[in-house]
Amino acid sequence: MYVNRRQVLMTAGGLGAATLVGCSSQSGGAPAPQTTGGTPKKGGTLRVGALGRAGAITRDPHGTQSNESDYLVLSLVFDTLTVPAGRPNTAPRLAASWESTPDLKTWRFKIAPGAAFHDGSPVTAADVVWSLRRLRGTKSGASRLPGIQAENITADGDGTVVLVSDYPNAELPLLTRLSSFILKKDTPDNALDKAPGTGPFKLDWYRNGNARLVRNEKWYGGEVLLDAVEITMFETAQAMSNAILAGQIDLASNVGPVAARIAETRKDLRVVRRADDMAMPIVMRTKDGPFADPRVREALRLVVDRDAMVKQVLSGYGTVANDVMGTGDPRYARDLPQRKRDLARAGQLLAEANFDLGKTYDLITTEDIAGLAESATLFANHAREAGIRINVVKQESGTFWDATWLKGTLYTTYWGTNDSVLFLGSKLMVGDAGQNEAQFADPAFDDAYRRAVGAADEAGRAAALVEVQKIQHERSGYLLWGMADGIDVAAAKVQNLPTLAGYGRVQLQSTWLR
Amino acid sequence: MAALTPGAPAAGSTDPAAAGPPVPPRPRDDFARRAGRAALRAGAVLLRRILVLAALLAVVFAAVEMLPGDAATATAERGDSAAAIAARREHLGLDRPLWERFTDWMTALPTGDLGTSARGEKVADLLRDPFPNTLALAGAAFALTVAASLALGCLAAARPGRRTDRMIGHTATTAFAVPDFVLATGLVLVLSLWTGLLPAVTVADASGKPAEWTMMIMPVLALAVPQTGWNTRIVRGALADQADAAHVEAARLDGLSTTRVLLRHALPGALPVIATGIATSTGMLLGGAVVVETLFNHPGIGTVLAGAVAGRDTTLIAGCVALAGAAITLVLLAADLVRAKTVGAGR
Amino acid sequence: MTTASASTDTATPAPARPGRHPHPRRALLLLPAALFLAVALAGPWLAPHPIDAPVTATYAEAGDGALLGGDQLGRDVWSRLLDGGTALIGCAFLIGAAVTATAALLGCLAALRPRAGRVLERAADVAILLPSVLGIMLVALAWPDGGRWAVIGAAIVLGIPFAVRVIAAAAAPLAAAGYVEAALMRGESSLSITVRELLPNLRGTVAALFGLRFVEAVYIISTAAFLQIGPQPPEADWALMIRENAPGILLNPWAVLAPSAAVALLAITVNLATSAPAPRTQAVTSA
Repeated sequence: MYVNRRQVLMTAGGLGAATLVGCSSQSGGAPAPQTTGGTPKKGGTLRVGALGRAGAITRDPHGTQSNESDYLVLSLVFDTLTVPAGRPNTAPRLAASWESTPDLKTWRFKIAPGAAFHDGSPVTAADVVWSLRRLRGTKSGASRLPGIQAENITADGDGTVVLVSDYPNAELPLLTRLSSFILKKDTPDNALDKAPGTGPFKLDWYRNGNARLVRNEKWYGGEVLLDAVEITMFETAQAMSNAILAGQIDLASNVGPVAARIAETRKDLRVVRRADDMAMPIVMRTKDGPFADPRVREALRLVVDRDAMVKQVLSGYGTVANDVMGTGDPRYARDLPQRKRDLARAGQLLAEANFDLGKTYDLITTEDIAGLAESATLFANHAREAGIRINVVKQESGTFWDATWLKGTLYTTYWGTNDSVLFLGSKLMVGDAGQNEAQFADPAFDDAYRRAVGAADEAGRAAALVEVQKIQHERSGYLLWGMADGIDVAAAKVQNLPTLAGYGRVQLQSTWLR
Repeated sequence: MAALTPGAPAAGSTDPAAAGPPVPPRPRDDFARRAGRAALRAGAVLLRRILVLAALLAVVFAAVEMLPGDAATATAERGDSAAAIAARREHLGLDRPLWERFTDWMTALPTGDLGTSARGEKVADLLRDPFPNTLALAGAAFALTVAASLALGCLAAARPGRRTDRMIGHTATTAFAVPDFVLATGLVLVLSLWTGLLPAVTVADASGKPAEWTMMIMPVLALAVPQTGWNTRIVRGALADQADAAHVEAARLDGLSTTRVLLRHALPGALPVIATGIATSTGMLLGGAVVVETLFNHPGIGTVLAGAVAGRDTTLIAGCVALAGAAITLVLLAADLVRAKTVGAGR
Repeated sequence: MTTASASTDTATPAPARPGRHPHPRRALLLLPAALFLAVALAGPWLAPHPIDAPVTATYAEAGDGALLGGDQLGRDVWSRLLDGGTALIGCAFLIGAAVTATAALLGCLAALRPRAGRVLERAADVAILLPSVLGIMLVALAWPDGGRWAVIGAAIVLGIPFAVRVIAAAAAPLAAAGYVEAALMRGESSLSITVRELLPNLRGTVAALFGLRFVEAVYIISTAAFLQIGPQPPEADWALMIRENAPGILLNPWAVLAPSAAVALLAITVNLATSAPAPRTQAVTSA
């Protein structure tokens, strides 16, 4: 409810606690930041709007950040070891470089020279070890640093941190991208709100989700151009949209397609589209039930009109996808044949599988994020044209995650981390994955995944990665019809905004005002 | 017919005489005795209001308890195990009997402790900044409502049946029939997005308050206009009732001017009805504020409540209701006082 | 607009002032409501397009086969507008009728039996402290699958205490009348006295109360729908349309303005119709 339940309730913010865990290691495929108009200039205050809810405010860098506004503040004040990037999808930050042993189990991160906290003290390996162990010790620590036990996070001298994984993991540096914020060793829990970070901006004040940050003159990562960043928390995207249209903020972060369409008619505003931001697949249970037969899943994938989905659900701000999760991965398999609508073939497959067309099937959805419920409604329309009767059931968010997620036979889900095929594979599709949404258990897939993540040679890994995607494309439990763009609207004077998907958008250190 | 108005005190509410015209006090009454009786009556009224508030809180606490799921599941993350949820339930004290939790919460109230939210934060801290903002918004709307409806009501009553009266009557009807969120949507479109005259949303500064006072204009208007429509009708109606009263009739026959008759003779008698009517608006203003705040991003309890309801946060919701109920209780008490002053003087 | 306080002017017409004649103006005031309700209720049969299928671009401007343009999914705003009133009006009618009927019986009971009266007074005292928006949120949450029925239930429960006060106050003088006291002495049941002696004399009050509760119900239902409680997408519902389409108000203002105007017109026309008797105004004029 709220309302929007939404929106009270509601709908509004859209970013449930669920999202960020999903996002906890995302970034994007889009490469370099947006082209600039002129030479970068120092000075000015950037006023940013970001979504957030008063009741969900978190100041703990290692807590569950369900507010985008809080995450924005944290990621500008604190640094993570690595950050999301384009190609490759992981770039150095507080860790200047990293290397692994050939077995891909032991990883050594070198701390950037000159890195210091806002109070002037230098960053040491002890600070990093303490922070990562603290992160590992939180209740979601196991999913944020999977396969890394707290005792296997150690310091090697003052400048090197060693992480030992329980199993070979070529993607380990990716795991340290989003939530591995580094605090000073022994920061007490009651001093988190004023704890010094190492990031490009220092905290001036923070109150009820709103904050003002000022430039860190001595940032080790390069010159920061903005004097200050003022962050305003918005309960709804609509209020944020009104604020940017009325000139009350300079950047509306993740404001959505409708605001973008309005902004496109105005000279004083600019739209930033960040591709591969959000996946909203339909999950079909593979273990048992009506969709256990891979031919039925294939038929449903042939029934959906992908172009219409992108046009109507995403207002055209998105791209058609091909049922493989991780579209932003630099090694995403673009040469797999694009699946298109084919009702005749779908009918044939359904007949072969003896699918019961007389029954009505419930498609369960929730309104956590904009477009999710609409995608279900539209898909039901498409299925009806193929003679499949689908009834859309909207569940209240709490009920959905409690009763339907991981258990349902046909439901919608969404994921914000889309720049790594392997990351999503490990979370969602490997037989024993903790969040195996479709209860997908396929020995060939598991085998390909293990080879992709553990093979010593690069070529072997690449080949296995192609296989992982091929199996997904053929028979996983996902119907991924398209990818939503992340959409920011900015005043024309704002230059050099990040164009990465997901939480890559918080990297404002090189943004400047004309 | 003051008796029709809700919020009238127990003894008076079904007693048509309660709102009757003030009668000059009997001079030989013993002052001390009267003062004592008045204090006793005030104490009784206060106690009754507090008991009523406690009853409301009990109802709300029980209602939230009936909600499916609880704070432990609502704050769960993707992938939390049943054991983790059970542990959190124990940590939050949700495994204790409802009655015990309610008593604990109620007995801590007088100390200003509103309990602990599902996320483990002090409810009093969570509401410290937002609640004054909501009060400021609703309070400004309340003041505007009182001033505008008294002015319009008197203006209409001064020329009964004429064009001004009819126009005010119809405008008032129209105003109160339009829901506040419809009005708010229209205001933003016209005053901000089309013309750029006013800021579209509220942005808070370091003090947690709206950065500029102009940000308050539209939210206050959206709340006050419907309530002004409502209360103008009450003022107009109460003054019309008074017009028939003997002492007003007498004043008119004495040849006093219309304005004088209206303000000096009719209005005092109509005040109890007006006070009760306007006090009733407080609930509407606070309820409307919840909706209007989300539209304008006003940093009040509306936004907190939104999340609290979604998160099944019993203590946070109860805290919001308790504060809103306390605010309404205060206004009702003020209305009681106005009534006691005008009516009680005559007893 | 929640409460009975307006009763001062709207709920007191009945004990008819002698010498008042049916006014031509009164019929004039009833006309807009009648017209509006007729169109709104016939709407679903007049809609040119289905309400759940896109016929144009999202937030398309008016024209091109869509009289009022497209909504957030490209559906026809005009068709949805025509379709969206029936349920709202139906629910408001149901709430108005249920509250008025229950209150009529309880109010008379309160007037006849002072002890019951005091209990009902206390209930109203409690209810007044709970802003209706909060109340509706609680009820709808306690009954998440209730949809419209949850809102209807909440609106009825929250509305009754106020309405009872109006009836009780209007019935109090009648209850003291000789013929009612005589009936009480004869040992007639409260119900029979209520039906035979009191209600016939309270016709006007009850009618005016119904009008007031109807308008109040429109407010509650539409506010709830705005908060996404009650009707669920893809249903066409005026308040839901305002909420859903508000982000695109600059692209196609009609998607928001048309349902806003419809909600406002519904409340205004019905309100005008019920305030038509406007008794007090004449009373003062005559002086």
